[in-house]
Amino acid sequence: MLIELSIQISAITALGGGILGFLLAYSVTVGGLPKSLRPILMTFSGVASNFAGVPLAFAFVATIGRQGFITHILRDYLGVDVYSAGFNLYSFAGLSLVYMYFQFPLMVLIMAPALDGLKREWREAAENLGASSTQYWLKVALPVLLPSILGAMILLFGNAFGAYATAYALTGGRIGIVTIQIGAQIRGDVLYNPGLGYAMAVGMVIIMAISLAGYSWLQAKTERWLR
Amino acid sequence: MSYLSLSNVTKQFGDTTVVDNFNLEIAKGEFVSFLGPSGCGKTTTLRMVAGFETPSSGNILLNGVDITHNAPNQRNVGMIFQSYALFPNMTVAQNIGFGLKVRKEADDVVKQRVSEMISLIHLEAHANKYPYQLSGGQQQRVSLARALAIRPQVLLLDEPLSALDAKIRVSLRSEIRSIQKTLGITAIFVTHDQEEALSISDRVVVMNAGEIEQVGTPFEIYNFPKTRFVANFVGSLNTAKAEILDPASGLLNMEGIQLQTDDGTKNRKKGDTVTFAIRPERFSFVSEGKKENVVEGRVVNITFLGSVVRIQLQIGKTNFNMDTFNRPSLELPKIGDSCQVSCSKKAVLILED
Ligand SMILES: Nc1ncnc2c1ncn2[C@@H]1O[C@H](COP(=O)(O)OP(=O)(O)O)[C@@H](O)[C@H]1O
Ligand SMILES: [Mg+2]
Repeated sequence: MLIELSIQISAITALGGGILGFLLAYSVTVGGLPKSLRPILMTFSGVASNFAGVPLAFAFVATIGRQGFITHILRDYLGVDVYSAGFNLYSFAGLSLVYMYFQFPLMVLIMAPALDGLKREWREAAENLGASSTQYWLKVALPVLLPSILGAMILLFGNAFGAYATAYALTGGRIGIVTIQIGAQIRGDVLYNPGLGYAMAVGMVIIMAISLAGYSWLQAKTERWLR
Repeated sequence: MSYLSLSNVTKQFGDTTVVDNFNLEIAKGEFVSFLGPSGCGKTTTLRMVAGFETPSSGNILLNGVDITHNAPNQRNVGMIFQSYALFPNMTVAQNIGFGLKVRKEADDVVKQRVSEMISLIHLEAHANKYPYQLSGGQQQRVSLARALAIRPQVLLLDEPLSALDAKIRVSLRSEIRSIQKTLGITAIFVTHDQEEALSISDRVVVMNAGEIEQVGTPFEIYNFPKTRFVANFVGSLNTAKAEILDPASGLLNMEGIQLQTDDGTKNRKKGDTVTFAIRPERFSFVSEGKKENVVEGRVVNITFLGSVVRIQLQIGKTNFNMDTFNRPSLELPKIGDSCQVSCSKKAVLILED
């Protein structure tokens, strides 16, 4: 299945980036990290979530590519050869890693305001009524956040699903995610079947539309609660 | 025997003392208000009773048990917030049942208590609605029911009516008071609104800058304010300085005008300067027949305030307000006229500073 690989990479990076992003957003909002770290993380996330495409691929090639700067340092000075240990930036795993770099910052950007929306009074009211911290999280905080979390995951999924330039620049088309397939069919260097390309593109638009609709439905649900 | 007792409770945030040596005994079933301007430490004191803040020093005893260092979820104290703080993901019934659920009460107990509470606040028709579908007043009633459902030993209310409009504020406050009386629950009610405090409390604690100024029944607080702060904060009061001419008989001299008081000059000396206060409604026209403390004043201004008319009089060099009922037969002087007014000896209050 052509679309399978895309779905896999999107799901994996949405989940991984989602978890990492949530934990980071949690620590600078309701968690105990110093308040001064928050603007740093938010600025980084703002930049990194938009840092995709050729420059991002190049940045990774230049650092942890086969001849990358960090790869060299690790091999020459620390005696760790990550490539002979099985790592390969130009593989599915490598591509997932690169995607993570714009996935988790997007999660941070979406979750930080949602976590800010948890009112201090809810926690206090819960404690006052006898709830433990765990009970508060399970019965109040997570249910309140759930639509935002699910919505954000859908957005992350779509974000990875639609990526093209990053993957193309990094792997030169060797990994057949759907955007690259569409490109190949339409451009037609080796393959040429614009009809199939357009059909795949329509399929993609449908998946993206469903993602976005899901996102806005969940978003509306929380907004109603939090009004 | 007091039920809730705060002894020498002090709270500092960094270098600033926010609550200073607070001492108060509250009896079981009593309704006590903390009244004071914003920032005087009312919320902080309440939060120490709830366990959200720990006193820097001092003790809090509830029914003989020292709860000073108990975690909030280890006390049986109900708290009502100004912002209602209802859980948005739960219906009215689920919100009310929350405290019982986390305490692992049996399902039928929860169900029974929730429906009891819902009828107590008259929201039977709204049991399955979410908070966002309710008005502010309804939300605050749900939060009252939620706090009462766990049968707390003390109910704490932090400006629960401040976010509501005037009409609902007045009706809900009498509803709160009547529920409190029915259940016989001990309550502390925080407010910056003197009318609210005076109208629903058994006792009022007037606070200023982290300290208690005066504790008393609404009647005592209004009629016999002890300090200048209380006098000015509760109701509107005329204050001025005078010299004591005769401590034994309570004769005062205000810029050449003599006034009699029967309030606390015995432990003062002749020649001492004191601050005294007179409520505007204690003045009357001499033509109405009163003969104590007759003084002459010049009318500076006249304002209609609905059921009362406020007349500003210059007596000596000081301006005093005089309130008189607004009735059709009232014969008002004109601005610039001189007129004779009087007030009884009892109306002249000597204030501590
Ligand atoms: N957590 C805190 N840290 C520092 N200062 C605080 C904190 N909470 C309250 N204060 C200060 O303590 C004072 C009293 O606050 P508060 O008890 O909320 O007053 P009130 O409820 O009477 O308006 C205020 O000056 C406030 O700024
Ligand atoms: Mg307050």
